Amino acid sequence: MIRIVPREEYCIGCRLCEIHCIVQHSRSKNIIKAFKSERRPVKRVEVEEEGHVSFALQCRHCEEAPCVTACLSGAMSKDPETGAVVNDPERCVGCWTCILVCPFGAVRRDEAERKAVGKCDLCPDLEVPACVANCPNEALLMVEE
Amino acid sequence: MAARYDYAIVGNSAAAINACDAIRSVDREGSIVLFAEEKYRCYSRPLISYLVAGQIESKGMYYRPSGYYRSMRVEFRKGARVEAVDAGKKTLTTADNEKVKWRKLLLATGFKPFIPPVPGLEDVDYITFVNWDDAKRMLARTAKPARVLVVGAGLIGMKAAEAAEARGAEVTVVEKMERVLPQALDEQASRMVWERCREAGIDIVTGQGVAALESTGGGKGKATLEDGGEIDFDLLVMAVGVRPRAELAEGAGLDCPHGIEVDEHQRTSLEDVFAAGDAVSAMDIVLGKPAINALWPVAALQGKYAGLNMAGREVPYPGCNSMNAVEFFGLPVLSAGVVNPPEDGYEVIARRVDGGDYRKVVLQGDVIVGMLVAGRVERAGILTSLIQERANVRRVKNFLLEEAFGHIHLPRSVRQERIKETAAGIMKAGAARDEGV
Ligand SMILES: Cc1cc2nc3c(=O)[nH]c(=O)nc-3n(C[C@H](O)[C@H](O)[C@H](O)COP(=O)(O)OP(=O)(O)OC[C@H]3O[C@@H](n4cnc5c(N)ncnc54)[C@H](O)[C@@H]3O)c2cc1C
Ligand code: SF4
Ligand code: SF4
Repeated sequence: MIRIVPREEYCIGCRLCEIHCIVQHSRSKNIIKAFKSERRPVKRVEVEEEGHVSFALQCRHCEEAPCVTACLSGAMSKDPETGAVVNDPERCVGCWTCILVCPFGAVRRDEAERKAVGKCDLCPDLEVPACVANCPNEALLMVEE
Repeated sequence: MAARYDYAIVGNSAAAINACDAIRSVDREGSIVLFAEEKYRCYSRPLISYLVAGQIESKGMYYRPSGYYRSMRVEFRKGARVEAVDAGKKTLTTADNEKVKWRKLLLATGFKPFIPPVPGLEDVDYITFVNWDDAKRMLARTAKPARVLVVGAGLIGMKAAEAAEARGAEVTVVEKMERVLPQALDEQASRMVWERCREAGIDIVTGQGVAALESTGGGKGKATLEDGGEIDFDLLVMAVGVRPRAELAEGAGLDCPHGIEVDEHQRTSLEDVFAAGDAVSAMDIVLGKPAINALWPVAALQGKYAGLNMAGREVPYPGCNSMNAVEFFGLPVLSAGVVNPPEDGYEVIARRVDGGDYRKVVLQGDVIVGMLVAGRVERAGILTSLIQERANVRRVKNFLLEEAFGHIHLPRSVRQERIKETAAGIMKAGAARDEGV
């Protein structure tokens, strides 16, 4: 399975990861459309910043994922093959129980279409997740385990 | 000869299904039989209000895809109530007189609604709001404009009220305590929720019990409140509380004054009999003693650990705590641990931001033991996890009420440990407790 590792000593706090995450999860995958004309998806990675320190954090795809056990509807599940923890927006009802138990604040409300949540899906259509690929300073690394 | 199964499970909800999954993650071969009193595949009980409100369709109710039992190789006895368990002979008998032998038994019998003795109640065709059949009854009885009276403003009562309101009903809630959701929320958040409900047209009467009921036929009737006030209704919903459903366990010889008691492996005092879910009193890591937390995530977690232990993995239940995620009329509120501390021995820090956001943290000494966040709730889970770790938060106290509070505020070593450790399961990450944050 792949894991995304933040390296705070390299993060420059530019938040390009957030922007490219939004683009990647938009309908057109086009930055101008995603930010100007389409429904803007929620970001699935967040840069935390305080003083000179910053780093980007997204879902850790926990081994014993609290969000999966807690999910009321069964929408949140861990893919036994890839290890990715994924949300099925068709089944999610937007009860926010996963938000209540995620130790990383990695789940966001996404209510643009209907009540549901958005979280990191490790960009299944890409070789390298968008945040990692677009970090200008290698502050996000993809490691295969 | 009665058929013999390696595992028999009574129940078909959060605890039972997570137990099945856990058993199968360890034991691919053992035979499993599951008894479900209700005539449904496993569905998510909390979603009945979403169904009634029209937010989801019937197919959205199911907790697992169709074909689940087959793919897990579980013999599913739909509509089969277990009547008796003989723990000595290791058998059980259903209402239809099916008798099976088992090697390991799980009681995941959940909760039942508590119905208080109100004079006249027996004559009224009232409903409860705890299962899919109740949802169907509410749908049928709100098909035409109806006056709905909900007794009880706990989670189930408020969900029933919200669902009835979405059906276009004229809704009144009567609550004996002074506020709504008195357990899940604190006073401030209760007020905020109440305000939203009032704006949505739900009438809430607090500090009042129902003194008497009178049926006027066809499910309709009149309630007389303690202060003499009267409320006419077309549909009465009783939602004053729930109790552990422990009859089966008691019949098997267990003494259950406060739910079924279990050890840290979800074992009862009867050999090879396990229990999990709302019927069970298990370790509350915030209170530091066993308690009944009748909540879906808690039932699911207990079920999982019961299953692992039934299948022979000796893994202790990590413990859980009370926690609630609710949203009423656009206001989400999340809470965990102690939200209504007694006066002595606790410190409360709180912040109200204009526009509806509210954030509160409860401390016991330097240890975080409770939180409540209303409005922008996204990062509240970080607080939940610190509560579960019993983290010493002395050094970050000034940041706890900030919406942006996060790993950036934790000492570098603790944050790196947490980020690394979660890969192997957050419950093991004790860095925040040991080092302080
Ligand atoms: C309207 C509503 C809203 C809720 N909302 C939330 C929420 O938002 N968040 C939350 O955390 N929790 C919520 N809950 C609580 C949650 O549904 C319960 O905590 C959870 O269902 C407990 O699961 P369980 O497996 O312990 O038992 P249950 O769900 O009670 O299931 C037990 C099952 O066992 C069956 N059974 C019992 N005895 C027998 C027998 N002798 N033979 C055969 N079968 C038997 C019962 O028929 C039942 O199907 C809500 C509950 C309701 C009613
Ligand atoms: S959403 Fe949170 S709890 Fe769930 S796997 Fe990701 S980091 Fe873990
Ligand atoms: S918000 Fe969706 S994914 Fe999260 S717990 Fe509720 S149903 Fe599951």
